[in-house]
Amino acid sequence: MRVLTIDDSRTILAMLHHTLTKAGFEVLQAEDGQQGLDVLKSEDVDVVITDINMPIMDGIEFIRNVRATGHHQSLPILILTTETSQEKRDQGRAAGGTGWIVKPFDPEKLISVIHRVVH
Amino acid sequence: MSDLDDFKATYFDECSELLNELEEQFQAIEEGERGADRLNAVFRAIHSIKGGAGAFGFTGLVGFAHAFETLLDYVRDGRIELVDEVVALCIRANDIVADFVAAARSGETLPSDYGAEEKARFDALCRGESPDGDENGEPMEEFDIEFTPVMVKLPFAEDEAALTLDAEADAFEEAPLAGTDGHWEIRFIPHTDLYARANDPLLLFRELAALGEIDVKALVADLPALADFEPFGVYCTWEISLSSPTVTEAQIREVFEFVDGDCDIEIAQLAAMPAREAAAPAAAAAPDESTPAADEPAVSFADLAAEITPVAPPKPVAPSLVAKAPSSEGAAEEGDQRKNGVQSIRVDLDKVDRVVNMVGELVITQSMLTQQMDENLRVRYQELVRGLEVLAQTTRGLQDSVMAIRAQPVKSVFSRMPRLMRELAQKTGKKIRLEMIGENTEIDKTIIEQLSDPLTHMIRNSADHGIESPEKRIAAGKPETGVIRLSAEQAGGNILIIVEDDGQGINRERVLQVARDRGVVGPDQQLTEEQVDQLIFAPGFSTAEAISDISGRGVGMDVVLSNIKKIGGSVHVRSVPGKGTRMTLRLPLTLAVLDVMLVKVAASPYVIPLSSIVETIQCSRANFSRVPSGAQVLQVRGEYVQVVDLALRFDTPTQVESDSRFVVLCEAEGGVKVALIVDDIIGQQQVVIKSLEENFERIDGIAGGTILGDGNVALIVDVQGLKSSISHQNAA
Repeated sequence: MRVLTIDDSRTILAMLHHTLTKAGFEVLQAEDGQQGLDVLKSEDVDVVITDINMPIMDGIEFIRNVRATGHHQSLPILILTTETSQEKRDQGRAAGGTGWIVKPFDPEKLISVIHRVVH
Repeated sequence: MSDLDDFKATYFDECSELLNELEEQFQAIEEGERGADRLNAVFRAIHSIKGGAGAFGFTGLVGFAHAFETLLDYVRDGRIELVDEVVALCIRANDIVADFVAAARSGETLPSDYGAEEKARFDALCRGESPDGDENGEPMEEFDIEFTPVMVKLPFAEDEAALTLDAEADAFEEAPLAGTDGHWEIRFIPHTDLYARANDPLLLFRELAALGEIDVKALVADLPALADFEPFGVYCTWEISLSSPTVTEAQIREVFEFVDGDCDIEIAQLAAMPAREAAAPAAAAAPDESTPAADEPAVSFADLAAEITPVAPPKPVAPSLVAKAPSSEGAAEEGDQRKNGVQSIRVDLDKVDRVVNMVGELVITQSMLTQQMDENLRVRYQELVRGLEVLAQTTRGLQDSVMAIRAQPVKSVFSRMPRLMRELAQKTGKKIRLEMIGENTEIDKTIIEQLSDPLTHMIRNSADHGIESPEKRIAAGKPETGVIRLSAEQAGGNILIIVEDDGQGINRERVLQVARDRGVVGPDQQLTEEQVDQLIFAPGFSTAEAISDISGRGVGMDVVLSNIKKIGGSVHVRSVPGKGTRMTLRLPLTLAVLDVMLVKVAASPYVIPLSSIVETIQCSRANFSRVPSGAQVLQVRGEYVQVVDLALRFDTPTQVESDSRFVVLCEAEGGVKVALIVDDIIGQQQVVIKSLEENFERIDGIAGGTILGDGNVALIVDVQGLKSSISHQNAA
């Protein structure tokens, strides 16, 4: 299974990479929404995990863009967020986010959330 | 837990970069650029710092960063106006964040109320109080969000069981309370939005199946004709009966967490748990009886239920499917991950250092080979000689390339200074402009890291003691605004960093007076103007009458000198009364390899850094004379230069005739020349510096040691050290 991880924080990317590869996923990385879109143009992935606050293109806009392109309408997108407030999460969902993961994430929780949204 | 340490290292690296960026952004913001881009960048940086801090359980940092972030969020969307007081508070907060990061990195504990005052002001601002108000009211709601950092659990449990879907293993949830009964009926009507967000009922059922035994029925009465099917249309209502002795409603709700709002859902607990075997048929009828009064918004559930013929009860969800270990699919490709959009790689500094060291050894081996080629060999093996020449070139190229990896622009240090300057201007009430030149000059990373404190101190010193008050400046006929110029340039094998101001210059009388009072200078000792200027770097010397808030942080400029010396550099100060002061840091380009001239004194090899050598002269042709004090001087083109006989200086009697010895004319700090007398000059080469202090102790006049190509150890002559010891001798 291939996961695209998008976050402008290298720490978070590294942690996701570690956790996901350990669980047997193949991990692709991007540092902002635009890079994420570029990856999706050429790569097939099973699920996307994206941060919200990023430079160049934030996670909300990324999700909107993904949903706007026809063949990614069923691609599960998980929002990574530290926001415990509902606001960001709702924005992400309104844009088409499938679910969310609250940072800091527990590795097991992360994997189980992925399995909740991927066949 | 080395994984965690690795992440921490990544995190702290990232923090340094983010803090630098914050610094730059706030500088621009303070200068009036208050666009959304800047605010967003600041917000993101703080957000990232907070995110990582949460992962590692740095609670103090998380708490403060969170409060700061909330303030920034308010500023970003205009709820708080970004007036100067708010900017000042943000800059202060930024420092506090940096302190928290530094403390987390070094493992120190900050006082529990660290930053509490600022946090209280954030609260006040967010409550809509004026920026200068300092009431400490109750924190507003936003700040009451409880952050409970969860330590990252690494590595994974070895067995794959840990990776299976197991809602009960969820660390975020409380231990499931035993359900009173254990039989649940769930009615689920998805909305179109559910599909638009790539959620899928089947996955939800799979999730439910992990909680207990389930039976799923689709109510398809509303199915349109095939031709009328919309791909994202919703035509089914689902009924699920779930049996599990322990499951709670909260657990069931959690399964539907992501689709909350995108579906209608009813969850009801049945009074009695039907026998397992009878579950399916019983469940079909159960809803009618158990939830007759359910608030049904649109469709009448009872009607629907009456009409349906259970469609192929999606038998699905066999445990094997649910508990599939993810590794089964991805394992083959594991490790074959593609990086996208990455143009640089991050390398641990240790790894670079290993390469640097090995290149150093290679340089030694190469020079050893070259040395062993005597004339006879050269003639006989010309091919070999050519090969060695190519090797020498390649080695040099390799070395330059490796050094370039370690080199970084001084910008990273310089960029912290403008803010310091503004703070200083504010505190002193002086008008000061900071000019920066040569920010892109590159120096070894290790040196850059050591530069921040000395530079900060020098600039504080210039602002505090150098630049005059606006009134004084106007009275002296100078522009009201003082200028401090910070510049970096490469000069030969050195980097010069110069802090220059157009202030009042060093008050030599006062400096000398203080130095005598403190016993730094003896009562009868006569010093040149330059030597007096240099006193500001002497240990135990501080001119500030009262230790000011600015330059007096309990340390004097001597700390600057010792810090710079530690990284192989030197400091020189030159002052013109009424015109200004210039402090020059001379730093080595790199700490590892040195171009030297190999000389011999009393049969022992010494090396002199090439960067300090001006010329060499045969003693027989040199023009020595003695001054009344008895010291020997050398006249070079009309200039008298002090002479140091290295044989005498190092107390190693030499047998070599004085006329056949050599003078190596060196230039120390501030253009002061010193003539070193050596027995013989052997040649020029590169050496790898080895610290004496690490294994032995510091010796005056010796900067370190090195291993020569033939395996012998040579000491590196410290020209600056020799020169200052002459000054002391002469002065005493």
